[in-house]
Amino acid sequence: MKRQKTPLREGLFTQDVGGAALLASRCNICGQVFFPRRERCLDCPNQDMESVLLRGTCRLYTFTIVNMPTEHYDPPYAIGWVEFPEGVRVFGQIKGWEKQPLKIGMNMELVIDTLWEEEDKEIIGYKFGPLSEDDKR
Amino acid sequence: MRDVAIIGVGSTVFGKLPERLVRDMGSEAVWAAINDANVSPKEIEFAYCSTTFGGAVCGERILTEVGISGIEVVNVENACAGGATAFRGVWNAIASGLYDIGLVVGVESMTTSPIARKLIPPEAGDLAGDMGNNMPAHFALSMRRHMEIYGTTLEQFAKVSVKNHHNGCLNPYSQYKKELSIEEILNSRMICDPITLLQCCPNTDGAAAAILCPISIARKYTPKPIIVAASILKMGDYASRWEDMASSDLSSRCAREAYEMAGCGPEDIDVCECHDAFAYSELSHYEELGFCGYGEGGQLIDVGATEITGRIPVNPSGGLLSRGHPVSATGVEQVAEIVWHLRDEAGKRQVAGARVGLAHTMGGEVAGLEAGACAIHILKR
Repeated sequence: MKRQKTPLREGLFTQDVGGAALLASRCNICGQVFFPRRERCLDCPNQDMESVLLRGTCRLYTFTIVNMPTEHYDPPYAIGWVEFPEGVRVFGQIKGWEKQPLKIGMNMELVIDTLWEEEDKEIIGYKFGPLSEDDKR
Repeated sequence: MRDVAIIGVGSTVFGKLPERLVRDMGSEAVWAAINDANVSPKEIEFAYCSTTFGGAVCGERILTEVGISGIEVVNVENACAGGATAFRGVWNAIASGLYDIGLVVGVESMTTSPIARKLIPPEAGDLAGDMGNNMPAHFALSMRRHMEIYGTTLEQFAKVSVKNHHNGCLNPYSQYKKELSIEEILNSRMICDPITLLQCCPNTDGAAAAILCPISIARKYTPKPIIVAASILKMGDYASRWEDMASSDLSSRCAREAYEMAGCGPEDIDVCECHDAFAYSELSHYEELGFCGYGEGGQLIDVGATEITGRIPVNPSGGLLSRGHPVSATGVEQVAEIVWHLRDEAGKRQVAGARVGLAHTMGGEVAGLEAGACAIHILKR
């Protein structure tokens, strides 16, 4: 049976001709960027928000290799925080960590990927992966 | 607000005790506190009970075992900060003049809880939880930042666990009475890199209790009342405002406010019980509580300053790592431990001449927040 691709949540991410992007929002008064999107600014309570896409290169802020099972994942798997130039840190899984050692500060890219599979569903979400040397050019 | 004193404390021995009911452990701790305070159960006017997994009306179930009925009882959940939250509730109601004599009891049976032998899971629908986050991972992520920014070494973190397991050997209430070496700790099973098993607090069952009253009547009950000089409880700020994940901004903020309320500074603290859920946590709390500068936690443990005989002894009880961590009982147990030290009754683990003590707990994880809650109490003799 073919599993139905289902996003983890609506309104988190998109994939268009420009590639993968996270759906964030910026407060037009104080400039704070929020991911996931907020209808109201959490810093100043105003509702004057604009949509922002987080995409392109981000940097690895910190990471860990998890060696115990959690609800949806078998160990070992990598998770961490990345920092986008917009000043937002985002938490997520790290893809491709087995292939090259992770290092704080390394360039990372956003990818859309399968998080886990259920009986009839394939749960899709975002992950981050180290940018290879070739990609940086 | 009135000055409030602790007139009695009590505790069960901590451990893996699946055969013990929550109400048995709770009532044992309450009886111990009642006897310690030399107060009649009939004099208790109200009670707070903290439990996370102990079920509904837990406080009422415990009090029926000790001849207390018909009074106001509040049951509190605030994750690992629950015990401190309940303690603060009793302090608050007495300080404000609502009641004179109050009881706090914290109790947990982790081994019979739905999460026995498992991690505390993130709430369903928690975005970070769905992405694979868990409690040790959260702290491993901060630990790696601390190593990156300050150059703190794995050995320095391991020394926290060595120290606390040593202290646990001296504490009759402690879950573990086993010395550990740096090598054993670093070579134990990897949990979330770089956190290994013996850098993590265990699953623990146990209960602790305390009785409080206004300082004006405290000497009727005890020659050694202990004054509550500061009580601070705050939720965490948005993670977007988190300065650096190497440290807890919430702990730093609560510490500043607690010192201001108590009219003292970190240099005045003689003994500290802090929330060492992981070895990393204690080392970063040294810095947040002001016992050393940011990035100097590694040096502080290297020179032995936080040992029982050091400049600022931390977790003489063995802490969460060795005394154990019955989630909602921990905050009350920390208070009891500080009281024993300030009364010069802590036996082999006694911090000589302790006059001022600080208890610090943190609790809960919420996606989008730095941390759930933090509570700090400063006690003086």
